[in-house]
Amino acid sequence: MKNSKFRGVGTVFRYTLQQHYKTASVRIFLLVLFVIAVAAFPVFMTIRGGNEEVDSTQIQTLYLRNESGFAIDAADIHKDERYKSLTVTETAEDNDALAKKLSADEHAAAAVIALDDVKGYQIKGFYGEASAVSDDDMYTLNNVLEDALRDAQLRTLGVTQGQIELLHGRSFTTVIRADELKAGEEQTDTATHAFVNLAYSYMILLLITLAMSYIFQLCMEEKVSKLVESLLVSVEPMALLAGKILAVTVILFGGIALIVFGLVISYQIAKGMGDVSFIKEGIVEMFEFDPSKLHFHPGTLCLLILCLLLAYATGAFYSGIVGSCCSKTEDTQQASIAVVMFVMIGYFTASFTPMIESDGANLFVSLFPLTSIFVAFPNYICGKISFAMLLLAIAIQIATVLLLARLAGSVYRMMLLYRGGVPKPAQLFAMLKENRAAEKAAAARKEGSHGNEA
Amino acid sequence: MGFSVRELYKKYGEKVVVDHLSFSMDGPGVYALLGTNGAGKTTSIRMILNMLAKDGGTVEWNGGPLTLQNCNVGYLAEERGLYPKNTLMDQLLYFASLRGVSRAEAKKRIQYWGERLEATEYLYPPQGARGNAAKPKKADQLSKGNQQKIQLMLALLSDPELLILDEPLSGLDPVNTDLFKSIIHEEIGKGKYLIMSSHQMATIEEFCTDLTILNRSKTVLQGNLAEIKKGYGRINLFVKAEQDLRALIEGAGVTILSDVGFSYQCRVTGEEQANALLKTIVEKGITLIAFELREPSLHEIFVEKVGDAHEEQ
Repeated sequence: MKNSKFRGVGTVFRYTLQQHYKTASVRIFLLVLFVIAVAAFPVFMTIRGGNEEVDSTQIQTLYLRNESGFAIDAADIHKDERYKSLTVTETAEDNDALAKKLSADEHAAAAVIALDDVKGYQIKGFYGEASAVSDDDMYTLNNVLEDALRDAQLRTLGVTQGQIELLHGRSFTTVIRADELKAGEEQTDTATHAFVNLAYSYMILLLITLAMSYIFQLCMEEKVSKLVESLLVSVEPMALLAGKILAVTVILFGGIALIVFGLVISYQIAKGMGDVSFIKEGIVEMFEFDPSKLHFHPGTLCLLILCLLLAYATGAFYSGIVGSCCSKTEDTQQASIAVVMFVMIGYFTASFTPMIESDGANLFVSLFPLTSIFVAFPNYICGKISFAMLLLAIAIQIATVLLLARLAGSVYRMMLLYRGGVPKPAQLFAMLKENRAAEKAAAARKEGSHGNEA
Repeated sequence: MGFSVRELYKKYGEKVVVDHLSFSMDGPGVYALLGTNGAGKTTSIRMILNMLAKDGGTVEWNGGPLTLQNCNVGYLAEERGLYPKNTLMDQLLYFASLRGVSRAEAKKRIQYWGERLEATEYLYPPQGARGNAAKPKKADQLSKGNQQKIQLMLALLSDPELLILDEPLSGLDPVNTDLFKSIIHEEIGKGKYLIMSSHQMATIEEFCTDLTILNRSKTVLQGNLAEIKKGYGRINLFVKAEQDLRALIEGAGVTILSDVGFSYQCRVTGEEQANALLKTIVEKGITLIAFELREPSLHEIFVEKVGDAHEEQ
């Protein structure tokens, strides 16, 4: 390692991290981010308002005043596990009489089903002042009564019990081509594919654009502070760049891990507050996204992490190349366009390919280096490409990352002492070519001198 | 043992910026690299330190190619700075760590150089009135001269064998100039190899033994300073009298370079011509205040060489 070009990577990495986290604004930002993540689900539940269903009930007796005209069968209420031992007493007593009964029994509740001019039927639940019954308990029973009323209405129309159960079932829509139907294969529907592609590519977009700004800043800081030459007698440029990119990796993924950790805590808090199934159901309903159709297996999480790291590394090294061409803060505006364009190409590809519904297009964008990081993984979990093709895509991504890393090292080394505007790609490659030729000639001279010595 | 640069060559496109520069140091000492602006000094230093790819030539340290691994180099660049928002102590420890100096040793050396460069108050903030320590200083809180002290510390922290100082005294006040000079003398005394580049000829003359003068990428003069001066001979004559001597001096065939009052800076062809002029003045009974024959200064040699090269082009 002593003669390696990477000597000092660890020192650069530690120093960059140390200086980043030493900044008070960074620490405050992370704290705020964590607090927001922790508060997310509980606040959402509070804002969402209303009641949550309970797992067990304190209600033992129900006084039911049914003014709907449809006879409610107590068996429909007892079907619900929570209310299987509930005593249901039909009554015609007025509210005062019901209130007296409820005051006398802390495990009693009352419900009035009445015709409402605007909303159809209204179910009102009551419980006593010093009752063991909670709001959520009453809310749950109201939901059960609502289902029982609907069943009563259907029975009045002559619908059988079997038909009623069928009507309660949820339905999904799936589009399957004839050849897939024959082969017995079932692919993810377009809506789910589009959602997965969008969600994944959005994550990559965020990751790369965040990394870009950090890397630009780190690539320039020695130039701006005129420290380049002093530093270059202590560390190789490649080690300097590698240490900085590693530090940005920890900063970004550390931030993401902090948010995820916060969300896990948040979810646990929300779970303690009530029913959280609405979160998943909300996502499913909003995006018509069917998670059951995704190709998940125990190794999917490892594949996801690998694909995210490769996507990040591609973006980071590309940002390193572009950032190395900046000499001052004003240059970053021009340079960021190059990175944003790259990200947008990938993002739009990920957005539009599900609409094409072509296996060829899915395979091409999964393997093409520019778009692979955005679509290969989502295409795999949506069943659009095979596992073998995903492995091929990963191999292509690794090759791309290695190529970009090497190029970034050369450009960073060459541009550290450069003080012009941002060079155009053609200029940059001409400079690289000239530099490479000089390096080759130097290496040849070195070999020659060693040969002479020998 | 030693340091040598052979046939160093660099061009940007068609423009040659360093044209086959060669020089060597067989032992510790001070070598000066002089030249006009844009002559190729900094480019040469950057190639010596492998910061720039060479188009030709070699740089050797103790018989092998000079690399960061086989030569402990300290470099005070002409374009120098510090991380503005980082504390000075953090930066010094960072640089020391990059050079493989342990944290404990680095702290000792920082303490030593802090005291030597009179910069301890910036490195170890004094306690406030309430007994709590003040915040450590950041680079952008220091004046240019004090920043330069920290930059010199960065160059010296690794106790380098080869020290390259590019315009080390520029921008310093007289007190700090003397402080820096004393430190440079100390480093020379420790038997180090020093390469110095400066436009301040008096400074170079004070320290260096050998030199190369570059002009527009080419070497226009090279060698041992004492021998170069000796080669020129004593051709500078200063005459001061109480009356006008212009006609007399010109009559003796001596060239007057400048004439202020009755003080004359002259150029003679040799000691004989100077003696002849002195004899004439004495014979005429003119009272002389000063009559000094001396070797040319480095400044004069530089101006002459660079001027010659300009005329040739």
